[in-house]
Amino acid sequence: MKFLTKINRNFFMLFAAMLLFICIAGYFILQAMFLENARESLARKAVLIQNQIEKTGNLPQFDPLSQVYVIAKPTGKLNPSIKKIELFNSHEDELEPYAEYNKKVLIKGIYYNIQLREKTIEKDDLIFSLGVALFLLLVATFCISFFVNRRMNKTIWKGFEKNLLAIEQINFRNNEPLHLESTHINEFDRLNTIVYSLTNKLKEDYRSLKEFTENASHELQTPLAIISLNLEELLQQSMNEDAFKKTVSAINAVKRLSHLNQSLLLLAKIENNQFVALDEIAINEIVQRKLQELDPLFKAKKLHIELTVQSPFYWKINSQLVDILLNNMLSNAIHHNIIGGTILIIFEAHKLVICNTGEENNLTNENIFNRFVKGKSSSNGLGLAIVKQICETHHATISYEQTDLHCFTIITQQST
Amino acid sequence: MKLLIVEDEVDLLIAISNYLTKENYLCELADSFHKAEEKILLYEYDIILLDITLGDGNGLDLLKPIKKHNLKAGVIILSAKNSLDDKISGLDFGADDYMTKPFQLTELNSRIKALLRRRKFDGSHLVTFNEIALDTDSKTVIINQQRITLTRKEYELLLYFMINKNRVLTKEAIAEHLWEDNVDLSDNFDFIYTHMNNLRKKIKRCGGTDYIKTLYGMGYQFTDQ
Repeated sequence: MKFLTKINRNFFMLFAAMLLFICIAGYFILQAMFLENARESLARKAVLIQNQIEKTGNLPQFDPLSQVYVIAKPTGKLNPSIKKIELFNSHEDELEPYAEYNKKVLIKGIYYNIQLREKTIEKDDLIFSLGVALFLLLVATFCISFFVNRRMNKTIWKGFEKNLLAIEQINFRNNEPLHLESTHINEFDRLNTIVYSLTNKLKEDYRSLKEFTENASHELQTPLAIISLNLEELLQQSMNEDAFKKTVSAINAVKRLSHLNQSLLLLAKIENNQFVALDEIAINEIVQRKLQELDPLFKAKKLHIELTVQSPFYWKINSQLVDILLNNMLSNAIHHNIIGGTILIIFEAHKLVICNTGEENNLTNENIFNRFVKGKSSSNGLGLAIVKQICETHHATISYEQTDLHCFTIITQQST
Repeated sequence: MKLLIVEDEVDLLIAISNYLTKENYLCELADSFHKAEEKILLYEYDIILLDITLGDGNGLDLLKPIKKHNLKAGVIILSAKNSLDDKISGLDFGADDYMTKPFQLTELNSRIKALLRRRKFDGSHLVTFNEIALDTDSKTVIINQQRITLTRKEYELLLYFMINKNRVLTKEAIAEHLWEDNVDLSDNFDFIYTHMNNLRKKIKRCGGTDYIKTLYGMGYQFTDQ
């Protein structure tokens, strides 16, 4: 919900509640006013009638509107009273509200009661007219707020929306400076200042992180190179089996460390989108070539390969990354396979499925792509994380399913 | 063969030069951009090994003077950064090969030999070891005047052994050389035994000696000693 809509809605609801309250209060106030009005007018009439009785002695009778009759000496004070009553109107065939005024007077030693009645406004009419007023007021408020909003959207909020869009599209990679418009509204300008300082900080962090990964790589690889070269030289000297095995294991450990370092760097680089995808690549052709290259590996495990190309599979992806992706997926399918197993590769338009036979595991689609999840394999557990990262940065999804086979499915977004 | 090794990490520089000296190369060393530039201007080299990140400059900037004063020299870049940009710009500026640290010395030797062969130094397309002769131009192997047919991987394996003769090679190093880091091999080296056994059989069939020595099941040595 838009900020303005939210404010308006709250305002409108409050306004409606207030109006309703005013109407209800108005109803009672008006009723009291009408009664008071009737009392004043009837009191005047009562004085006139009283005067007439004093002069003429006649008791005017206009039943039911005015009645004068003699009463016994009342107890207490002679206070006039007014009350609401309802009388039946035979013309209209309904009950109608009246104000009844009773005044006890003493004229020439005789007590009279002057009873006067006057028709007052009907309850239904009052409620109806108040309801109409309420409705009209609400409609008017709604219309006014609607037009005011539209105007505000075009003026006050325009700068804000523009800035919002600029923030949404911020990209640290292309190093473009963020430009926010001044809106001349204190709150928004304050927000702009904060966004500026935040983005500057982020930019700085992003840059230093990138530098750090590159430098860390360099600083790590060089000592690793020295260790590995020296161990290799050590290996050339004649040594007993124990020393030989320890040296080889040290060499392999250094190699693994270096691979791990390179894989982590690769992941960081893919995340930073440091690879540019230029062309649509026919993935099925690359896979066919790779299958030939990997043939000795398949033979070593007596694997049976079934390749089905239902449709060529084109993908706009960086050529170096597609190489890494396919290598990782295929070596995964070889590693986790059983001797004499099968690898199924199916190409459809926008879809690549690679399935392999293998032992059951407890890995799921949710965790298999996580870093350092490696099941029983002795790899560094980054291969599939890299595959997933490559897919994500190249508008594709990858999923894993374990049925009889272990299947990985890559689906690319259909480019229009 | 005269080599210039440019590397600012002295330990690494010495390890490389020790090894290459043993392999009968004449090595000159430069541990800074400044010294390297001086040597490039003054002397001629067959091969230059070039580190990119030098304390006092970028190794890539040395490629220009190399191409100007040392046109004959083949250049192999040694970089700690496995960065495609560096690789592309390095090769664009006239480097012949690119290796990422850490690398195996035997791999470096193979690359140097391959580069020398590509540059057509006299007789360098012929690699011989006793009765085995290998012609890298026609990719043929002759044993006792008999030509034998090898698969591509067997040929590469034999060449790697012959270039790095007498050296102890781990099977991981061999696997990595054959597959060039493309595949995460980690635990699967079975295929190496297959290649190795096939190669042994083919050599023996022509009356050749089996020079491949297995060391404690973890390494191999191609030697007649």
